[in-house]
Amino acid sequence: MAGKKPIRSESLMTRAAAHLRLADPVSDEPSADPDQLLTRVGRGDEQAFAALYDLLGASVYGLARRVVRDPARAEEISQEVFIQVWRSAARFDTSRGSARGWVLTLAHRRAVDAVRHDQAATNRENRYDWSSGPAFDQVEETVSTTLEHEQVRRCLDGLTELQREAVNLAYYNGHTYAEVAEVLDTNPATIKTRIRDGLVRLRDCMGVPA
Amino acid sequence: MSTDVHSLLAPYVLDALDPEERNQFEAHLEQCPDCRTELGGLQATATRLAESQSQAPPAELRQRLLTAIGTTPQERPVVTAMSQRGGLRRRLPQLVAAAALVLAAAGGTGYFVEHNRADEQHDQNVAIRAVLGAPDADTKALNLPNGGTVRLITSESRDSAVVVARELPALDEGKVYQVWLIKKSAAESQGTFSRSGEMVMKDLADVDQVAVTVEPSGGSKKPTTAPVVDVPV
Repeated sequence: MAGKKPIRSESLMTRAAAHLRLADPVSDEPSADPDQLLTRVGRGDEQAFAALYDLLGASVYGLARRVVRDPARAEEISQEVFIQVWRSAARFDTSRGSARGWVLTLAHRRAVDAVRHDQAATNRENRYDWSSGPAFDQVEETVSTTLEHEQVRRCLDGLTELQREAVNLAYYNGHTYAEVAEVLDTNPATIKTRIRDGLVRLRDCMGVPA
Repeated sequence: MSTDVHSLLAPYVLDALDPEERNQFEAHLEQCPDCRTELGGLQATATRLAESQSQAPPAELRQRLLTAIGTTPQERPVVTAMSQRGGLRRRLPQLVAAAALVLAAAGGTGYFVEHNRADEQHDQNVAIRAVLGAPDADTKALNLPNGGTVRLITSESRDSAVVVARELPALDEGKVYQVWLIKKSAAESQGTFSRSGEMVMKDLADVDQVAVTVEPSGGSKKPTTAPVVDVPV
């Protein structure tokens, strides 16, 4: 990275910066964790922002894509999320949660809001040919490459069918639990319970601390 | 109602509440330290669900963002951390507008064809949700003898129906399930699926039945096998 920088005459400054870098193991480490990067983003550090994007961009985009389906819309949402991260980074309190969790929560909310907003705004008179897009199962396959996905899938497989359906429809399709109840023809109170049971089971299966 | 508010925690984690319930739960959260503790673990779980979908974004997004932040002012830190979420939500319209400008400035990119296709899927999701949310939505459910369920949700006011198929028996390679609207003497194909999925159908005026048959991949022009599912409309 340093090789691309234009040559400057302030060698003293450069040496001072190099010294600081040694003293501060966080700065410019490609493996820096999102919490540390976000703190730096809050101070206006554009390099930290780029590094944070490199760490979380695929998760944000993939999640948005799963929820809204449309790649252009998913890209738009990813952009909004990262601009929001840039703007609000200084207000993020690392004692209240992880930067990763915060960014992905923002992304999920944006994606779900987009789906619901579109539902309210449009009611087009189209006929939809289902065979024109990839089937549900195929969408699953294209993203099943990572180890992470394998573990999540294994844990999802460990749920009861109703728990799994409820979690999938709510989280990945952006349905409210009341809508999930309608799709699954089940009492809304039952769906709330199944979502909770399902999440607790997933948490334990994934080894997330309670 | 207040005794029930705790049951909103898990749906809240999945963003599965309507706005009124979301506000109700967030107000409750401010006064419930136990909820915040439980919330942490479940939110971390949702984060894992999110990460499992990881997919490389279009390469140009990175540069566009780096350009955008160069002219995007940052907010100053605040002390009252709990108000953060509500504050962000209120500012969203501005952010959306800002992002739209950036997108417009960036101009078109190369995903036009894919966009159209995904647009249809997206529209379909929107249409499905419209039927499910209709006040006169009526559900018929059918458990298949060899496993799987098919539900038909009909809304007269929207002249539409949604078929929801779940975990139907796996088919031999080269076979798919195909959905049909059976009218007086004709069968109109509505599309194909493998084992699970949802689809929306419109213009139900002279439709007698919704049927599902097993057909070769890509679907047939007319049903070539006896229906595995046959629901009167």
